Amino acid sequence: MAELLMEVKNLKKYFFTPRGTLHAVDNVTFNIEKGKTIGIVGESGCGKSTLGKTLMRLHSATSGQVLYKGADIASMDIKQFKKNYRSHIQMIFQDPYASLDPRMSVFQLIQEPIKVQNKKMPKAEVEKKARDIMEFVGLAKRLEGAYPHELDGGRRQRIGIARALSLNPEFIVCDEPVSALDVSIQAQILNLLQDLQKERGLTYMFITHDMSVVKHISDDIAVMYLGQMIEKCEAKEIFRDTIHPYSQALLSAIPIPNVHEKRERMVLKGELTSPIDPKPCCRFAARCPYATDKCLAEEPVLRELKPGHSVACHFAEKFMK
Amino acid sequence: MSNKELARNTSDKILALKDLVIHYETDEEVVEAVNGIELELEKGKVLGLVGETGAGKTTTALGIMGLLPSKVGHVVQGSIWLDGENLLEKSEREMRSVRGKKISMIFQDPMTALNPVKPVGEQIAEVVLLHNHCSKAEAIKRAQDMLAMVGIVPERYKEYPHQFSGGMKQRIVIAIALACEPDLLIADEPTTALDVTIQAQILDMMRKLQNDKGTSMILITHDLGVVAEMCDDVAVMYAGQIVEYGPLVEVFDNPKHPYTRALYKSIPSLDKDVERLNVIPGLVPDPSNLPAYCSFYERCQERCDKCKEFEPWAVEASLGHVARCIQYTPEWPADAKKGGEE
Repeated sequence: MAELLMEVKNLKKYFFTPRGTLHAVDNVTFNIEKGKTIGIVGESGCGKSTLGKTLMRLHSATSGQVLYKGADIASMDIKQFKKNYRSHIQMIFQDPYASLDPRMSVFQLIQEPIKVQNKKMPKAEVEKKARDIMEFVGLAKRLEGAYPHELDGGRRQRIGIARALSLNPEFIVCDEPVSALDVSIQAQILNLLQDLQKERGLTYMFITHDMSVVKHISDDIAVMYLGQMIEKCEAKEIFRDTIHPYSQALLSAIPIPNVHEKRERMVLKGELTSPIDPKPCCRFAARCPYATDKCLAEEPVLRELKPGHSVACHFAEKFMK
Repeated sequence: MSNKELARNTSDKILALKDLVIHYETDEEVVEAVNGIELELEKGKVLGLVGETGAGKTTTALGIMGLLPSKVGHVVQGSIWLDGENLLEKSEREMRSVRGKKISMIFQDPMTALNPVKPVGEQIAEVVLLHNHCSKAEAIKRAQDMLAMVGIVPERYKEYPHQFSGGMKQRIVIAIALACEPDLLIADEPTTALDVTIQAQILDMMRKLQNDKGTSMILITHDLGVVAEMCDDVAVMYAGQIVEYGPLVEVFDNPKHPYTRALYKSIPSLDKDVERLNVIPGLVPDPSNLPAYCSFYERCQERCDKCKEFEPWAVEASLGHVARCIQYTPEWPADAKKGGEE
């Protein structure tokens, strides 16, 4: 068994709104092995970004544990977290157009996190470090003085990656890092992320709604629906044996760029139900074509059906291959 | 370029673009957004317009609609034929009766395409009243029918856009676009802002409506999967030009242009396992400073020295399948490598 970098146990993140309690992340448990990539898939509003931000301590957890190398970073004092752990866990954000300060040059942007974390580091050393990182992520030296608006999406996302890497993190939460990019640029960034992982032994949590991207980059996949993890297994396994009806629908909804393969599509009725004060039933039941009375009365738990493949569905056995 | 080279039989054309050139002119620079597009669309067919950001897809659509930003955007050259009439010769007043009635457009972002302070039903009825001689009651009836058609209960006629989810808003936008049964529908990335399961619903609905009403459609997208599912013909755009054009199966099975080939290899596949994705090196050329030779030259993996000498023209590489690359002309040197090897 490989070394565990992170153990997430019964993690909950609720938001208290005037209309009720919003269960953004609800009782999620999973492990992340060192040097591996876990892909988190789901539609908008399913809680994937909240999960990522909670692991980062950008949100504080409502309850549950996040053990990073054995230390519970979810409940520790935020000052202590920032001092000892912030540089270990970094994040790459979705929108490279919105996540960079437009008034800072590329060089300043990359130096910023280094300066924040190492207040006493001499200027020359900071600059050298920033230059090294720029070269590492493939940003030309001539771009040092450029501002974000002068650059295209792919280069901006490289700045985002450089900022995350500048602190030598071990774990990076990638929140839809390629969704805003064109396909040819997307390929460049995905390859860069894979190269960095190989060279530095990084561990990724890769949040995306794009199944083909997640299949390409992940070792493990977890599917989320309304704050809960409903299926979890090895990346290839989910395409071989898709068990949860929602995962099946998600997979069949992807348009495939192949003109000869016409697949039977499972079109879901309706849309995501509200994550505010959900009833104690299967949260997918309202849209599930196989839902029975049991699904409406009882909440299914995530259980292991075969080694390494867990599903939260009362009738999972029925859908197994 | 003569029409012949655009290789299709010349009957039943709903739309034809002839050598269309569109520039955005500002004090500092001229952006050459569309550079000589030749395109024909048969009645009842769906044409996919594919390309990356900045390829000129949306500019082409706005040009057809006559909605280019005034003062800045200009049709410099060419003509746009809709049902045998040149749209560029029409006055703004005449264009207003074409838009919404003969051609409709669905915009990319349903969140901003609707009027937030007007009930959705009224927004549909408005279009109907504008283009048809009918009473208000008839227009309301029509709007309710349209809502039902796109799967929204007519009782929600009086609700405002913020009360609907993203997928439903896009349905309302589609209902507005189809309310007057246009001959041609231009859909600009209609599902890009939506989740896959909602995208599947919208695509299903659009296909059904297209089958029932026989509307011709131009579908602008960057998603090759959506193209494979929806379209009859495909046009691939790069730097304001159509670099490849042909029937769907032909273009997918047998891509002719090096850009199309590279594009296929750069998307991660669900069926195949690839260690590393193929990358198209470099970036799309700056449209305010396009080279005098092939605009894809700098990124092309199949280029030769000849490519740098002149701009390639569109050639029919096989029946009905056009590519803008000198590989398919006698100018291509016999010893040059071919076939997209890295």
